[in-house]
Amino acid sequence: MNLNDERTVRRDRMRFIKNTQSSSLCYLGILFNVFNFVRLYMSDVGNYYYTIVIGVSIVYNLIFMLAVFLASEGVKNYKPGYSYLLAVIGVIQIVRIFIIPVPAHAAETLVNGVETTVMGNGQFMFHVVCLVASAVCLILSAVINFTKCRELAAHMKTLDAQNA
Amino acid sequence: MAELSIQHIDKIYDNNVQAVFDFNLDVKDGELIVLVGPSGCGKSTTLRMVAGLEDISAGKLLLDGKDITAAPAKDRDMAMVFQSYALYGHMTIYENMAFSLTLRKENPNVIHKKVLAAAEILGLTSQLNKKPAQLSGGQRQRVAMGRSIVRNPKVFLFDEPLSNLDAKLRGATRREILLLHKRLQATMMYVTHDQTEALTLADRIVCMSMGHVQQVGTPLELYDSPDNIFVASFIGLPPMNFFDVRVDGDKLVGEGFTVGLTPEEQHILQAYNGKVVVLGVRPENIAEGTDVKVDVTNNENLGMNTLVHGHIAGTGNRIVAKLKGWADYKNGDGASFSFKRKHFFDKETTKAIRGDK
Repeated sequence: MNLNDERTVRRDRMRFIKNTQSSSLCYLGILFNVFNFVRLYMSDVGNYYYTIVIGVSIVYNLIFMLAVFLASEGVKNYKPGYSYLLAVIGVIQIVRIFIIPVPAHAAETLVNGVETTVMGNGQFMFHVVCLVASAVCLILSAVINFTKCRELAAHMKTLDAQNA
Repeated sequence: MAELSIQHIDKIYDNNVQAVFDFNLDVKDGELIVLVGPSGCGKSTTLRMVAGLEDISAGKLLLDGKDITAAPAKDRDMAMVFQSYALYGHMTIYENMAFSLTLRKENPNVIHKKVLAAAEILGLTSQLNKKPAQLSGGQRQRVAMGRSIVRNPKVFLFDEPLSNLDAKLRGATRREILLLHKRLQATMMYVTHDQTEALTLADRIVCMSMGHVQQVGTPLELYDSPDNIFVASFIGLPPMNFFDVRVDGDKLVGEGFTVGLTPEEQHILQAYNGKVVVLGVRPENIAEGTDVKVDVTNNENLGMNTLVHGHIAGTGNRIVAKLKGWADYKNGDGASFSFKRKHFFDKETTKAIRGDK
Protein backbone atom coordinates (compact mmCIF):
# COMPACT_ATOMS: atom_id res chain seq x y z
CA MET A 1 0.00 0.00 0.00
CA ASN A 2 1.37 3.37 -1.01
CA LEU A 3 0.98 5.65 1.99
CA ASN A 4 2.33 8.60 0.02
CA ASP A 5 -0.78 8.60 -2.14
CA GLU A 6 -3.32 10.70 -0.26
CA ARG A 7 -6.23 9.04 -2.06
CA THR A 8 -5.07 5.61 -1.01
CA VAL A 9 -4.60 6.78 2.58
CA ARG A 10 -8.08 8.30 2.57
CA ARG A 11 -9.50 4.99 1.40
CA ASP A 12 -7.43 3.00 3.83
CA ARG A 13 -8.76 5.12 6.71
CA MET A 14 -12.19 3.67 6.00
CA ARG A 15 -10.96 0.34 7.34
CA PHE A 16 -10.82 1.88 10.81
CA ILE A 17 -13.01 4.98 10.77
CA LYS A 18 -16.78 4.57 10.79
CA ASN A 19 -18.93 6.25 8.18
CA THR A 20 -20.13 8.98 10.51
CA GLN A 21 -20.92 11.27 7.59
CA SER A 22 -23.73 9.01 6.39
CA SER A 23 -25.00 8.16 9.86
CA SER A 24 -25.04 11.84 10.85
CA LEU A 25 -27.11 12.62 7.77
CA CYS A 26 -29.53 9.89 8.85
CA TYR A 27 -29.90 11.51 12.27
CA LEU A 28 -30.46 14.84 10.57
CA GLY A 29 -33.12 13.22 8.38
CA ILE A 30 -34.87 11.92 11.49
CA LEU A 31 -34.64 15.35 13.09
CA PHE A 32 -36.31 17.11 10.14
CA ASN A 33 -39.02 14.47 10.20
CA VAL A 34 -39.56 15.11 13.91
CA PHE A 35 -39.97 18.84 13.21
CA ASN A 36 -42.45 17.89 10.53
CA PHE A 37 -44.72 15.68 12.63
CA VAL A 38 -44.49 17.77 15.80
CA ARG A 39 -45.73 20.81 13.88
CA LEU A 40 -48.39 18.70 12.16
CA TYR A 41 -49.72 17.21 15.38
CA MET A 42 -49.73 20.59 17.07
CA SER A 43 -52.31 21.78 14.53
CA ASP A 44 -55.67 22.40 16.14
CA VAL A 45 -58.38 23.16 13.68
CA GLY A 46 -61.18 21.67 15.78
CA ASN A 47 -63.00 19.27 13.52
CA TYR A 48 -59.89 17.86 12.04
CA TYR A 49 -60.09 17.00 8.38
CA TYR A 50 -57.60 14.15 8.13
CA THR A 51 -58.06 12.19 11.32
CA ILE A 52 -57.50 8.75 9.79
CA VAL A 53 -54.59 9.89 7.65
CA ILE A 54 -53.00 11.45 10.71
CA GLY A 55 -53.35 8.13 12.53
CA VAL A 56 -51.59 6.34 9.69
CA SER A 57 -48.98 9.11 9.72
CA ILE A 58 -48.23 8.47 13.41
CA VAL A 59 -47.68 4.76 12.75
CA TYR A 60 -45.53 5.54 9.72
CA ASN A 61 -43.40 8.02 11.68
CA LEU A 62 -42.65 5.35 14.28
CA ILE A 63 -41.65 2.89 11.57
CA PHE A 64 -39.68 5.62 9.80
CA MET A 65 -37.64 6.48 12.88
CA LEU A 66 -36.91 2.85 13.66
CA ALA A 67 -35.89 2.05 10.07
CA VAL A 68 -33.72 5.13 9.63
CA PHE A 69 -32.04 4.60 12.99
CA LEU A 70 -31.22 1.00 12.06
CA ALA A 71 -30.01 2.16 8.67
CA SER A 72 -27.80 4.78 10.35
CA GLU A 73 -26.05 1.99 12.24
CA GLY A 74 -25.74 0.00 9.04
CA VAL A 75 -24.20 2.79 6.99
CA LYS A 76 -21.89 3.61 9.88
CA ASN A 77 -20.34 0.18 9.26
CA TYR A 78 -20.29 0.53 5.47
CA LYS A 79 -23.18 -1.87 4.76
CA PRO A 80 -24.16 -1.12 1.13
CA GLY A 81 -27.67 -2.64 1.40
CA TYR A 82 -28.82 0.16 3.69
CA SER A 83 -28.18 2.68 0.93
CA TYR A 84 -31.15 1.26 -1.00
CA LEU A 85 -33.37 1.40 2.07
CA LEU A 86 -32.42 5.01 2.75
CA ALA A 87 -32.98 6.00 -0.87
CA VAL A 88 -36.46 4.48 -0.82
CA ILE A 89 -37.35 6.14 2.47
CA GLY A 90 -36.02 9.42 1.09
CA VAL A 91 -38.30 9.20 -1.92
CA ILE A 92 -41.25 8.36 0.36
CA GLN A 93 -40.51 11.56 2.31
CA ILE A 94 -41.08 13.52 -0.90
CA VAL A 95 -44.24 11.55 -1.66
CA ARG A 96 -45.53 12.37 1.84
CA ILE A 97 -45.77 16.03 0.84
CA PHE A 98 -48.65 15.02 -1.41
CA ILE A 99 -50.36 12.86 1.20
CA ILE A 100 -51.03 15.38 3.98
CA PRO A 101 -49.65 18.91 3.38
CA VAL A 102 -50.89 19.39 -0.20
CA PRO A 103 -54.50 18.17 0.37
CA ALA A 104 -54.69 19.93 3.75
CA HIS A 105 -53.42 23.13 2.21
CA ALA A 106 -56.16 23.01 -0.40
CA ALA A 107 -58.96 21.94 1.96
CA GLU A 108 -61.21 24.04 4.14
CA THR A 109 -63.21 23.13 7.22
CA LEU A 110 -65.74 24.80 9.51
CA VAL A 111 -64.35 26.02 12.80
CA ASN A 112 -67.01 27.66 15.01
CA GLY A 113 -69.14 28.16 11.94
CA VAL A 114 -66.33 29.90 10.04
CA GLU A 115 -64.72 28.34 6.97
CA THR A 116 -61.01 27.95 7.70
CA THR A 117 -58.12 26.54 5.65
CA VAL A 118 -56.95 23.31 7.25
CA MET A 119 -53.32 24.17 6.64
CA GLY A 120 -52.22 27.75 6.12
CA ASN A 121 -49.43 28.87 3.80
CA GLY A 122 -46.82 29.17 6.56
CA GLN A 123 -47.45 25.73 7.97
CA PHE A 124 -47.60 24.24 4.50
CA MET A 125 -44.21 25.66 3.59
CA PHE A 126 -42.80 24.45 6.89
CA HIS A 127 -43.89 20.87 6.20
CA VAL A 128 -42.61 20.99 2.64
CA VAL A 129 -39.22 22.29 3.76
CA CYS A 130 -38.94 19.69 6.54
CA LEU A 131 -39.89 16.75 4.35
CA VAL A 132 -37.67 17.87 1.47
CA ALA A 133 -34.75 18.45 3.87
CA SER A 134 -35.31 15.05 5.44
CA ALA A 135 -35.44 13.42 2.00
CA VAL A 136 -32.26 15.19 0.86
CA CYS A 137 -30.42 14.06 4.00
CA LEU A 138 -31.47 10.45 3.56
CA ILE A 139 -30.74 10.30 -0.15
CA LEU A 140 -27.39 12.03 0.35
CA SER A 141 -26.57 9.58 3.12
CA ALA A 142 -27.44 6.71 0.81
CA VAL A 143 -25.30 8.05 -2.04
CA ILE A 144 -22.30 8.75 0.22
CA ASN A 145 -22.54 5.33 1.79
CA PHE A 146 -22.87 3.61 -1.54
CA THR A 147 -19.84 5.43 -2.96
CA LYS A 148 -17.74 4.74 0.12
CA CYS A 149 -18.74 1.09 0.19
CA ARG A 150 -17.61 0.68 -3.40
CA GLU A 151 -14.32 2.46 -2.69
CA LEU A 152 -13.72 0.37 0.40
CA ALA A 153 -14.54 -2.86 -1.38
CA ALA A 154 -12.11 -1.98 -4.17
CA HIS A 155 -9.46 -1.02 -1.64
CA MET A 156 -9.89 -4.26 0.30
CA LYS A 157 -9.58 -6.19 -2.94
CA THR A 158 -6.28 -4.41 -3.65
CA LEU A 159 -5.02 -5.12 -0.15
CA ASP A 160 -5.99 -8.77 -0.43
CA ALA A 161 -4.18 -8.99 -3.77
CA GLN A 162 -1.08 -7.42 -2.21
CA ASN A 163 -1.17 -9.78 0.75
CA ALA A 164 -1.74 -12.85 -1.40
CA MET B 1 15.05 13.86 20.70
CA ALA B 2 15.65 15.46 24.06
CA GLU B 3 17.87 16.06 27.03
CA LEU B 4 16.18 16.57 30.35
CA SER B 5 17.77 18.35 33.26
CA ILE B 6 16.15 18.09 36.68
CA GLN B 7 17.83 20.55 39.02
CA HIS B 8 17.39 20.55 42.80
CA ILE B 9 13.71 19.73 42.67
CA ASP B 10 11.63 19.58 45.85
CA LYS B 11 8.02 18.64 46.31
CA ILE B 12 6.25 20.03 49.35
CA TYR B 13 2.50 19.46 49.60
CA ASP B 14 0.06 21.98 51.06
CA ASN B 15 0.07 20.13 54.37
CA ASN B 16 3.85 20.71 54.55
CA VAL B 17 4.67 17.08 53.89
CA GLN B 18 7.79 16.96 51.76
CA ALA B 19 7.73 14.08 49.28
CA VAL B 20 10.87 14.81 47.28
CA PHE B 21 14.11 16.35 48.52
CA ASP B 22 16.66 18.02 46.26
CA PHE B 23 16.27 15.71 43.26
CA ASN B 24 19.08 16.20 40.75
CA LEU B 25 19.43 14.36 37.48
CA ASP B 26 20.60 14.96 33.94
CA VAL B 27 18.92 12.61 31.48
CA LYS B 28 20.86 12.28 28.26
CA ASP B 29 19.31 12.14 24.83
CA GLY B 30 17.97 8.66 24.13
CA GLU B 31 18.63 7.44 27.65
CA LEU B 32 16.28 5.16 29.56
CA ILE B 33 16.28 6.19 33.21
CA VAL B 34 14.49 4.01 35.74
CA LEU B 35 13.37 5.46 39.07
CA VAL B 36 13.17 2.62 41.55
CA GLY B 37 12.33 2.46 45.21
CA PRO B 38 9.75 1.19 47.66
CA SER B 39 6.20 2.55 47.80
CA GLY B 40 6.05 6.14 49.04
CA CYS B 41 9.67 6.95 48.19
CA GLY B 42 8.68 9.82 45.86
CA LYS B 43 9.46 8.24 42.48
CA SER B 44 5.97 8.65 41.00
CA THR B 45 5.74 12.17 42.44
CA THR B 46 8.99 13.02 40.70
CA LEU B 47 7.71 11.62 37.41
CA ARG B 48 4.45 13.53 37.77
CA MET B 49 6.39 16.73 38.38
CA VAL B 50 8.37 16.10 35.21
CA ALA B 51 5.11 15.46 33.34
CA GLY B 52 3.56 18.63 34.71
CA LEU B 53 0.84 16.82 36.63
CA GLU B 54 2.25 18.06 39.96
CA ASP B 55 3.61 21.51 40.72
CA ILE B 56 7.31 21.77 41.40
CA SER B 57 7.80 23.38 44.84
CA ALA B 58 11.44 24.34 44.28
CA GLY B 59 14.09 23.76 41.67
CA LYS B 60 14.18 23.83 37.90
CA LEU B 61 13.23 21.53 35.08
CA LEU B 62 14.91 22.06 31.73
CA LEU B 63 14.08 20.32 28.46
CA ASP B 64 16.74 20.84 25.82
CA GLY B 65 17.92 23.82 27.83
CA LYS B 66 14.49 25.44 27.93
CA ASP B 67 12.99 26.09 31.35
CA ILE B 68 9.67 24.23 31.53
CA THR B 69 9.31 24.31 35.33
CA ALA B 70 6.03 26.21 35.19
CA ALA B 71 4.87 25.05 31.76
CA PRO B 72 1.51 23.26 31.69
CA ALA B 73 1.57 19.53 30.93
CA LYS B 74 0.17 19.98 27.42
CA ASP B 75 3.06 22.24 26.42
CA ARG B 76 5.84 19.97 27.62
CA ASP B 77 5.91 17.64 24.65
CA MET B 78 6.01 14.59 26.88
CA ALA B 79 3.82 11.51 26.78
CA MET B 80 2.95 9.46 29.83
CA VAL B 81 1.92 5.84 30.05
CA PHE B 82 -0.02 4.97 33.19
CA GLN B 83 -0.36 1.75 35.15
CA SER B 84 -4.11 1.72 34.52
CA TYR B 85 -3.73 2.16 30.70
CA ALA B 86 -6.31 5.00 30.73
CA LEU B 87 -7.91 3.88 27.45
CA TYR B 88 -11.35 4.97 26.32
CA GLY B 89 -13.54 1.87 26.48
CA HIS B 90 -16.08 3.03 23.90
CA MET B 91 -13.44 3.79 21.26
CA THR B 92 -11.64 1.29 19.06
CA ILE B 93 -7.90 0.82 19.41
CA TYR B 94 -7.41 2.92 16.29
CA GLU B 95 -9.53 5.74 17.72
CA ASN B 96 -7.75 5.51 21.07
CA MET B 97 -4.38 5.83 19.41
CA ALA B 98 -5.52 8.64 17.15
CA PHE B 99 -7.35 10.53 19.86
CA SER B 100 -4.64 12.97 20.97
CA LEU B 101 -3.86 13.90 17.37
CA THR B 102 -7.55 14.31 16.55
CA LEU B 103 -7.83 16.75 19.44
CA ARG B 104 -4.96 18.70 17.95
CA LYS B 105 -6.92 18.78 14.68
CA GLU B 106 -4.13 17.21 12.68
CA ASN B 107 -4.75 16.12 9.12
CA PRO B 108 -6.67 12.80 9.24
CA ASN B 109 -4.38 11.25 6.63
CA VAL B 110 -1.32 12.18 8.70
CA ILE B 111 -2.99 10.74 11.80
CA HIS B 112 -3.71 7.55 9.87
CA LYS B 113 -0.10 7.13 8.81
CA LYS B 114 1.15 7.72 12.36
CA VAL B 115 -1.32 5.29 13.89
CA LEU B 116 -0.48 2.58 11.36
CA ALA B 117 3.24 3.09 11.94
CA ALA B 118 2.83 2.87 15.72
CA ALA B 119 0.58 -0.17 15.42
CA GLU B 120 3.17 -1.84 13.22
CA ILE B 121 5.91 -1.19 15.78
CA LEU B 122 3.78 -2.59 18.57
CA GLY B 123 2.28 -5.49 16.64
CA LEU B 124 -1.24 -4.13 16.98
CA THR B 125 -2.20 -3.84 13.33
CA SER B 126 -4.69 -6.68 13.48
CA GLN B 127 -6.29 -5.30 16.64
CA LEU B 128 -7.05 -1.78 15.45
CA ASN B 129 -10.78 -2.33 14.99
CA LYS B 130 -11.25 -3.92 18.42
CA LYS B 131 -12.34 -2.26 21.64
CA PRO B 132 -9.97 -2.24 24.65
CA ALA B 133 -12.17 -4.75 26.48
CA GLN B 134 -11.40 -7.32 23.78
CA LEU B 135 -7.65 -7.11 24.40
CA SER B 136 -5.41 -8.70 27.02
CA GLY B 137 -3.68 -6.57 29.65
CA GLY B 138 -0.40 -6.65 27.75
CA GLN B 139 -2.07 -5.58 24.53
CA ARG B 140 -3.88 -2.77 26.30
CA GLN B 141 -0.62 -1.52 27.72
CA ARG B 142 0.83 -1.63 24.20
CA VAL B 143 -2.08 0.49 23.03
CA ALA B 144 -1.30 2.97 25.78
CA MET B 145 2.28 3.04 24.54
CA GLY B 146 1.07 3.41 20.97
CA ARG B 147 -0.97 6.41 21.97
CA SER B 148 2.26 7.96 23.22
CA ILE B 149 4.27 6.98 20.17
CA VAL B 150 1.91 8.63 17.68
CA ARG B 151 2.49 11.95 19.39
CA ASN B 152 6.22 11.61 18.76
CA PRO B 153 7.01 13.32 22.07
CA LYS B 154 10.43 14.43 23.18
CA VAL B 155 10.25 12.38 26.36
CA PHE B 156 8.32 9.22 27.23
CA LEU B 157 7.25 8.80 30.85
CA PHE B 158 6.16 5.41 32.20
CA ASP B 159 4.50 5.17 35.61
CA GLU B 160 4.63 1.51 36.66
CA PRO B 161 3.19 0.36 33.32
CA LEU B 162 3.57 -3.34 34.05
CA SER B 163 2.12 -3.50 37.54
CA ASN B 164 -1.31 -4.64 36.35
CA LEU B 165 0.08 -7.57 34.36
CA ASP B 166 0.72 -11.11 35.49
CA ALA B 167 4.32 -12.30 35.82
CA LYS B 168 4.59 -13.94 32.40
CA LEU B 169 3.04 -11.04 30.54
CA ARG B 170 5.15 -8.60 32.53
CA GLY B 171 8.30 -10.27 31.28
CA ALA B 172 7.11 -10.22 27.68
CA THR B 173 5.96 -6.59 27.81
CA ARG B 174 9.21 -5.59 29.50
CA ARG B 175 11.14 -7.00 26.56
CA GLU B 176 8.83 -5.13 24.20
CA ILE B 177 9.52 -1.86 26.00
CA LEU B 178 13.23 -2.52 25.71
CA LEU B 179 12.91 -3.22 21.98
CA LEU B 180 10.77 -0.12 21.61
CA HIS B 181 13.42 1.98 23.29
CA LYS B 182 16.10 0.57 21.02
CA ARG B 183 13.96 1.19 17.96
CA LEU B 184 12.81 4.70 18.84
CA GLN B 185 16.04 5.77 20.57
CA ALA B 186 13.83 8.02 22.66
CA THR B 187 14.50 9.64 26.00
CA MET B 188 12.49 7.72 28.57
CA MET B 189 11.84 7.90 32.30
CA TYR B 190 10.36 4.81 33.85
CA VAL B 191 9.07 4.37 37.39
CA THR B 192 8.87 1.00 39.04
CA HIS B 193 9.18 -0.62 42.42
CA ASP B 194 10.31 -3.85 40.76
CA GLN B 195 14.09 -4.11 40.82
CA THR B 196 14.06 -6.76 38.08
CA GLU B 197 12.43 -4.25 35.73
CA ALA B 198 14.92 -1.63 36.80
CA LEU B 199 17.95 -3.83 36.27
CA THR B 200 16.83 -5.20 32.92
CA LEU B 201 15.53 -1.99 31.35
CA ALA B 202 17.67 0.85 32.59
CA ASP B 203 20.61 2.58 31.06
CA ARG B 204 20.87 4.20 34.48
CA ILE B 205 18.92 3.61 37.66
CA VAL B 206 17.91 6.24 40.21
CA CYS B 207 17.33 4.48 43.51
CA MET B 208 15.14 6.48 45.90
CA SER B 209 14.07 6.19 49.50
CA MET B 210 11.96 8.53 51.63
CA GLY B 211 12.08 11.24 48.95
CA HIS B 212 15.89 11.21 48.72
CA VAL B 213 18.01 9.94 45.86
CA GLN B 214 20.17 7.18 47.31
CA GLN B 215 22.26 6.38 44.25
CA VAL B 216 22.36 7.04 40.53
CA GLY B 217 24.25 4.63 38.33
CA THR B 218 24.18 1.84 35.83
CA PRO B 219 22.46 -1.38 36.88
CA LEU B 220 25.85 -3.02 37.39
CA GLU B 221 27.09 -0.14 39.54
CA LEU B 222 24.06 -0.37 41.80
CA TYR B 223 24.32 -4.12 42.06
CA ASP B 224 28.06 -4.37 42.39
CA SER B 225 28.95 -1.16 44.20
CA PRO B 226 25.97 0.01 46.23
CA ASP B 227 26.57 3.37 47.89
CA ASN B 228 24.80 2.49 51.10
CA ILE B 229 22.95 -0.20 53.00
CA PHE B 230 19.57 0.84 51.57
CA VAL B 231 20.67 0.38 47.95
CA ALA B 232 22.49 -2.83 48.84
CA SER B 233 19.38 -4.26 50.45
CA PHE B 234 16.94 -3.01 47.80
CA ILE B 235 18.81 -4.17 44.72
CA GLY B 236 19.24 -7.90 44.44
CA LEU B 237 16.90 -10.81 45.04
CA PRO B 238 17.02 -12.35 47.59
CA PRO B 239 18.36 -9.27 49.35
CA MET B 240 21.87 -8.96 50.67
CA ASN B 241 22.71 -10.49 54.08
CA PHE B 242 24.00 -8.02 56.66
CA PHE B 243 26.06 -8.80 59.77
CA ASP B 244 27.65 -6.57 62.38
CA VAL B 245 31.33 -7.53 62.49
CA ARG B 246 34.44 -6.21 64.20
CA VAL B 247 37.51 -5.61 62.07
CA ASP B 248 40.42 -7.42 63.66
CA GLY B 249 43.53 -7.07 61.51
CA ASP B 250 43.29 -9.68 58.81
CA LYS B 251 39.90 -11.04 59.86
CA LEU B 252 36.34 -10.06 60.63
CA VAL B 253 34.80 -11.29 63.83
CA GLY B 254 31.04 -11.56 63.83
CA GLU B 255 28.56 -13.16 66.19
CA GLY B 256 29.17 -16.88 65.75
CA PHE B 257 31.70 -16.67 62.93
CA THR B 258 35.08 -15.38 61.89
CA VAL B 259 36.10 -14.82 58.28
CA GLY B 260 39.46 -13.90 56.85
CA LEU B 261 40.15 -10.78 54.81
CA THR B 262 42.12 -10.59 51.60
CA PRO B 263 44.95 -8.04 51.48
CA GLU B 264 42.76 -5.81 49.34
CA GLU B 265 39.91 -5.98 51.86
CA GLN B 266 42.33 -5.26 54.69
CA HIS B 267 43.44 -2.18 52.78
CA ILE B 268 39.84 -1.02 52.37
CA LEU B 269 39.15 -1.49 56.07
CA GLN B 270 42.46 -0.21 57.47
CA ALA B 271 40.79 2.90 58.92
CA TYR B 272 38.22 0.72 60.68
CA ASN B 273 40.58 -1.68 62.43
CA GLY B 274 39.11 -2.50 65.84
CA LYS B 275 35.77 -0.94 64.94
CA VAL B 276 32.42 -2.49 64.18
CA VAL B 277 31.29 -2.31 60.55
CA VAL B 278 28.39 -3.84 58.65
CA LEU B 279 29.37 -6.76 56.45
CA GLY B 280 27.14 -7.30 53.45
CA VAL B 281 27.15 -10.54 51.48
CA ARG B 282 24.85 -11.28 48.58
CA PRO B 283 23.22 -14.73 48.73
CA GLU B 284 24.75 -15.56 45.36
CA ASN B 285 28.21 -14.74 46.76
CA ILE B 286 27.88 -17.48 49.34
CA ALA B 287 29.16 -20.98 48.57
CA GLU B 288 29.59 -24.16 50.52
CA GLY B 289 32.85 -23.85 52.49
CA THR B 290 34.27 -23.84 55.97
CA ASP B 291 34.03 -20.27 57.36
CA VAL B 292 30.49 -19.96 58.65
CA LYS B 293 28.41 -22.67 60.32
CA VAL B 294 24.70 -22.37 59.67
CA ASP B 295 21.62 -24.05 61.11
CA VAL B 296 19.32 -24.58 58.13
CA THR B 297 15.65 -23.70 58.60
CA ASN B 298 14.36 -23.91 55.07
CA ASN B 299 15.48 -25.08 51.63
CA GLU B 300 13.96 -23.80 48.36
CA ASN B 301 14.95 -25.60 45.20
CA LEU B 302 14.48 -23.38 42.16
CA GLY B 303 15.91 -25.76 39.58
CA MET B 304 19.11 -24.02 38.61
CA ASN B 305 19.66 -22.73 42.14
CA THR B 306 18.77 -23.54 45.70
CA LEU B 307 17.95 -20.95 48.33
CA VAL B 308 19.11 -22.09 51.72
CA HIS B 309 17.61 -20.14 54.64
CA GLY B 310 19.03 -20.48 58.12
CA HIS B 311 20.70 -18.90 61.14
CA ILE B 312 24.37 -18.50 61.93
CA ALA B 313 24.96 -21.41 64.30
CA GLY B 314 24.21 -20.53 67.90
CA THR B 315 22.87 -17.06 67.06
CA GLY B 316 19.68 -15.51 65.77
CA ASN B 317 21.39 -13.89 62.77
CA ARG B 318 19.50 -14.93 59.68
CA ILE B 319 21.31 -15.82 56.48
CA VAL B 320 20.17 -16.74 52.99
CA ALA B 321 22.49 -18.49 50.56
CA LYS B 322 21.85 -18.99 46.87
CA LEU B 323 23.72 -22.12 45.93
CA LYS B 324 24.24 -23.30 42.39
CA GLY B 325 22.44 -26.47 41.41
CA TRP B 326 20.21 -28.67 43.50
CA ALA B 327 20.82 -28.95 47.25
CA ASP B 328 18.92 -31.11 49.70
CA TYR B 329 19.18 -29.45 53.09
CA LYS B 330 16.43 -30.12 55.59
CA ASN B 331 15.18 -28.16 58.55
CA GLY B 332 17.70 -28.63 61.40
CA ASP B 333 20.59 -29.68 59.14
CA GLY B 334 23.95 -28.03 59.67
CA ALA B 335 25.67 -26.33 56.74
CA SER B 336 28.98 -24.63 56.30
CA PHE B 337 29.49 -21.67 54.00
CA SER B 338 32.17 -19.28 52.79
CA PHE B 339 31.73 -15.67 51.67
CA LYS B 340 33.17 -15.10 48.22
CA ARG B 341 32.58 -11.37 47.79
CA LYS B 342 32.05 -8.96 50.63
CA HIS B 343 30.64 -5.44 50.89
CA PHE B 344 31.44 -3.19 53.84
CA PHE B 345 29.32 -0.39 55.25
CA ASP B 346 29.92 2.18 57.96
CA LYS B 347 27.63 1.30 60.86
CA GLU B 348 26.96 4.94 61.74
CA THR B 349 26.47 6.51 58.31
CA THR B 350 25.33 3.28 56.52
CA LYS B 351 27.53 4.38 53.60
CA ALA B 352 29.73 1.96 51.71
CA ILE B 353 33.35 1.67 52.78
CA ARG B 354 35.53 1.63 49.71
CA GLY B 355 38.86 2.63 51.20
CA ASP B 356 40.82 5.04 49.02
CA LYS B 357 39.88 3.24 45.82
